[in-house]
Amino acid sequence: MRFFQFRSLQSRIFVFFFLLILVTQLGSILITSTLGLSIVNKTLSEELNTGERVFNRLFEQNTALITQGARILAADYGFRDAISSKDAETIVSALDNHGDRIKADLMLFVDIDGRIISSSTLATQSIDAGELGWLDPKRPQNKASALIERINGKLYQLIAVTVSAPLPIGSVVVGFRIDEAQARDISKITNTEVSYVSQKAPAGWQVNASTLPPAPLDTLQKALAGKMLKNDSITLLPTEVGDYLSLRLTLSSPAGQQTVVILQKSLDDSLAPFLDLRGKLLFLGVIGLILSGLSSFAIARSITRPIKKLAHFAQNIAQGNYTERPDIKVKNEIADLADSFDHMSTEIASRESRIMDLAYRDTLTGLPNRTMFHDRLNQAIHTTQRVGKPLTIMLMDLDRFKYVNDSLGHHIGDLLLQEVAQRLLKSLPRKSDTVARLGGDEFVVLLPTDDIDHAQKVARTLLAALEAPMMLEGQMLDMRGSIGLASAPLHGNDSATLLRCADIAMYQAKRNNSGYAEYDVSFDHNTLEHLSLMSELREAVEHNQLTLYYQPKVNLNHSSTHAVEALVRWIHPQRGFVPPDKFIPFAEQTGYIKAITAWVLNEGVAQCAEWSRKGLEVSISINISARDLLNVDLPTYFSGLLEQYGCQADKICLEITESAILDDPDRALDNLKRLEAIGCKLSVDDYGTGYSSLAYLKRLPVGELKIDRSFVMNMTNDPNDVVIVRSTIDLAHNLGLRVVAEGVETEEILNQLCLLGCDQAQGYLFSKPVPADDFYAWAESQSGPEMVRRVCKI
Amino acid sequence: MNLLHTCLRLIVAAILTASSGIAYASNLTVQVNASNRAPLEDVVVYLISNKTTAISVPGPRPEIQQINKAFVPLVSVVQTGSLVDFPNKDKFRHHVYSFSEAKKFEIKLYADTPSKPILFDKPGYVVMGCNIHDNMISHLLIIDTPYFAKSDARGRAMISNVPNGDYSLIAWYYQRPDKNALTLPVSVKTDATQMLVIDASPGI
Repeated sequence: MRFFQFRSLQSRIFVFFFLLILVTQLGSILITSTLGLSIVNKTLSEELNTGERVFNRLFEQNTALITQGARILAADYGFRDAISSKDAETIVSALDNHGDRIKADLMLFVDIDGRIISSSTLATQSIDAGELGWLDPKRPQNKASALIERINGKLYQLIAVTVSAPLPIGSVVVGFRIDEAQARDISKITNTEVSYVSQKAPAGWQVNASTLPPAPLDTLQKALAGKMLKNDSITLLPTEVGDYLSLRLTLSSPAGQQTVVILQKSLDDSLAPFLDLRGKLLFLGVIGLILSGLSSFAIARSITRPIKKLAHFAQNIAQGNYTERPDIKVKNEIADLADSFDHMSTEIASRESRIMDLAYRDTLTGLPNRTMFHDRLNQAIHTTQRVGKPLTIMLMDLDRFKYVNDSLGHHIGDLLLQEVAQRLLKSLPRKSDTVARLGGDEFVVLLPTDDIDHAQKVARTLLAALEAPMMLEGQMLDMRGSIGLASAPLHGNDSATLLRCADIAMYQAKRNNSGYAEYDVSFDHNTLEHLSLMSELREAVEHNQLTLYYQPKVNLNHSSTHAVEALVRWIHPQRGFVPPDKFIPFAEQTGYIKAITAWVLNEGVAQCAEWSRKGLEVSISINISARDLLNVDLPTYFSGLLEQYGCQADKICLEITESAILDDPDRALDNLKRLEAIGCKLSVDDYGTGYSSLAYLKRLPVGELKIDRSFVMNMTNDPNDVVIVRSTIDLAHNLGLRVVAEGVETEEILNQLCLLGCDQAQGYLFSKPVPADDFYAWAESQSGPEMVRRVCKI
Repeated sequence: MNLLHTCLRLIVAAILTASSGIAYASNLTVQVNASNRAPLEDVVVYLISNKTTAISVPGPRPEIQQINKAFVPLVSVVQTGSLVDFPNKDKFRHHVYSFSEAKKFEIKLYADTPSKPILFDKPGYVVMGCNIHDNMISHLLIIDTPYFAKSDARGRAMISNVPNGDYSLIAWYYQRPDKNALTLPVSVKTDATQMLVIDASPGI
């Protein structure tokens, strides 16, 4: 409900139009009102001014009429005669008669000494002489003196006319009441409200006659008291019952008195039509406002509704929902926009699917890539956990793919990968299974419903599928693969673990040449035990926990020289003696053997030099692993040691195994030749156990061959072994090699070896491996040569 | 009254000029000026003493004419017991009247000279008007002495043949008809000129 937020387009449009109409309506009402008021004001002011003129004219005419009446009396000869003869009765009767004739309210004669003679019949018969203080009867009233005087609280218009005989002998004073009736008469003629108000010091203003209702009259009185009304100017006088435009006229009054007439026009009466008009306008305005409000609301809605739908549509696109179409029914610009949106949505959808392909497909084979495989695997693991059924993955690596790629080129390599992908796909008819290419020659298969046993069958099918020869651009290729299997939940419950396990199993399969292998924890060098051993071994090297034991190699041909094989021993501070087969293979696999070899070489050369200084010339044999043999730095290091300890190179014999050479014969041979050049002796260890190849043996720059103990130890029991030993000795001798027999434990064997012409013997019969000092003692004792002499009877 | 007293002030600067030889009677010339030194016309001056009385003087009867809706002269002076004619010189008729104490009379609408003159048998001041023409006013002073004169346009009034002796010189001005403007003792021995200054502003 964000409708009434001003930010929204809808509310803006609505508010804009609403305000527009509002302002227009208010403006017209305001103008009408203002105009009305000003017209009324002007009209009323003019009417008041007219009223003023009419009033003045009326007043003058009235005065003239009265004056004339008074003059007639004043000029009457009989009246003057009566005055001259001081005939009071006649004077009074004349006043009565005349007053009656002109309908005066006051009629009197003031003689030259100020004495007053009044009419006897009129309502106002007598007044105090003081009231006529303004009149000087001695002076001729050239123009009739007309003024308004308040006498006994009543207002009179008084006119004095001089009586001449022919000099002034007094004045006739005629008075007319100014009362409500008079005010009403004047009001009718002037068409204004008429109020006579007088002030006679010290009393305040007093209304004498008025056509006004009581309430405004009260206001008028207060206004006069407050001096709010100025002479001859129009003032707006607000009252309880409406406003009055007021015009104040001052009438002539005797000194000490003030009489004004207020002409007024009610503003409200004149405004009434305008108020009526304003009311109608207001009504129309409200109607217009409602209509415009509704219509602007509708217009705004018609604009913003499709926009909102578009916004909703855009949100859908943002969320990846491309199926919904914007629901715009109108045909206008917004509909065009909606079409554009729709088009855009389609484009985005197709582009996104392309991007998805790129992101989830391997472009070379069209198989799912690593990312997609991970997704599916995770999904499958999730399902497995939920359902409780196992899944299996198979990681496959092509044997010798690198060789194919290097020798036949990447193009053939790519074709090969595509062919492999096709064969894998064909071999996996189930839709639920996934074949993916992880990269290089690595493929992985997800069998989401198979346990490890069933997976092994699938693995065999896959391997069989690969075995058929491939014809790629005229090249016939044999391809084999190695498959590692790992199963959830058996081997792990997450994709990373499963893949690692499969990887390890695959390498095991490759090593064993077994085609496929199931993961076994024993393959795994990264188990906790191994990890701990690794760190301990490193510690052992660094803290000299290793030590060298020496086992004598006894000459069977009367040679007096001493020879020993140096064997590494690990005295662990907690575990005690650790047998070599517990850590040497491990060290070989992890590559740490290099550090151990380096240590052994250092130790052996040093010992050799020491014995030499003691006068004991001993030739020391040191085992070199396959990895050491491929280490190009080994010859340099070795020659450095010889130099460091001042040891003769020919005192050191390096023992290598055949398999070590076979891993990378060229590099191994190169290294061996460099070692030979240094001057050391070389020996082939464990001869007969591996793929002994005479071709290699011929090429090796070795001088010695050690027959494996397994043949030697069984010589007395198995005639075949004797044959092997004998033929080996013959072969070696023919190649010019010395022969050393290991595992000599009985005098009978020693005797046979002597007979077979073996050159050296090594074994418990002479001595187990012993520390350097013990060997020194043993060598001094000459027990070895003695035994040879005794047994071989030489 | 007081006002009139104060208004009428007399400054005497009499220069009595001795006439050559012994004379029985002398002429008294009075120069009347207003306080603004302008000569004042129509001021009546007369002399009285305990010996003076009205006497019959031969000569034409005094008259007050009505010419062009005006009394001519405006101001007249006669001895008590004089008869005065009111000849109408206009072509229309007049209705002369007086309500004055000294003489109340009425000559109703007449043309030409009325057959009967009006007798003014009491001393005093009579103001006369015309009942038809309100603006017509005439002032008549009736006195008990034959020694009187009225100032002319130059303010000069000469009282002739006054027997030498002591008199009261009285001035009367019609604008102040109720009171004598001035009373001044004079001794007439020879022809002399008397200067009078009168405040001529009309009373309020």
